[in-house]
Amino acid sequence: MYTLHFVLYERLHADLGLKMTRQNSIPLVGPLLGVLCLASAIDIGAGWLLGRPGFGSHARILFALLPIPANLVLVTMIVRRIRRLDEFLRYVHLEAVAIAFLLTGLAVFVYGYLQKAQAVRPLNVGVVWIFMAAFYGLGYVIAARHYR
Amino acid sequence: MKNRLRVLRAEKNWTQAELAEIVGVSRQAVIAVENGKYDPALPLAFKLARAFGKNVEEVFVWEDGSLHEG
Repeated sequence: MYTLHFVLYERLHADLGLKMTRQNSIPLVGPLLGVLCLASAIDIGAGWLLGRPGFGSHARILFALLPIPANLVLVTMIVRRIRRLDEFLRYVHLEAVAIAFLLTGLAVFVYGYLQKAQAVRPLNVGVVWIFMAAFYGLGYVIAARHYR
Repeated sequence: MKNRLRVLRAEKNWTQAELAEIVGVSRQAVIAVENGKYDPALPLAFKLARAFGKNVEEVFVWEDGSLHEG
């Protein structure tokens, strides 16, 4: 999830040709990528352990909760990054998040109805964040273009 | 709200990026304010005005007709 957000954030700035100034740029890319890799490795490891038989219920719960610490560090780093943005960029990101929130809600709502109509298979909750990230990217493009 | 940012910036011969650097914001912010697409909050408005050595009222002009001086 954070990978997509991070990539979208960096890419969209480049795509729109609207580079941040040196003073306002944030030198957190290295540490963020490092934590991202670590979190991803833990996620994959936890998934792999959960897929293996022979573990008791307590161990399985522990494996399921393993990704939390590294992901909380990621969340903290991203929040800190957002706080260092100027007021205008925070405004743009707020619109992007609002658009992502509302469109994801709409998508899940419609999917739920389609599920009731037995037109689609039950929703895999793991894909919801992909919609969130995609709608966030869309929201960012809409907001950035609106204020240009 | 209208502003004279573009004129003042031209007088100083500054690019949008240079003004952004001076004020400490992104170039996007300067573009949005200059184009009248975004009204800055007071701290940024003061910073922009100070960058040109002006008061806020000399850079930003409130257009709402409902406010009249008594």
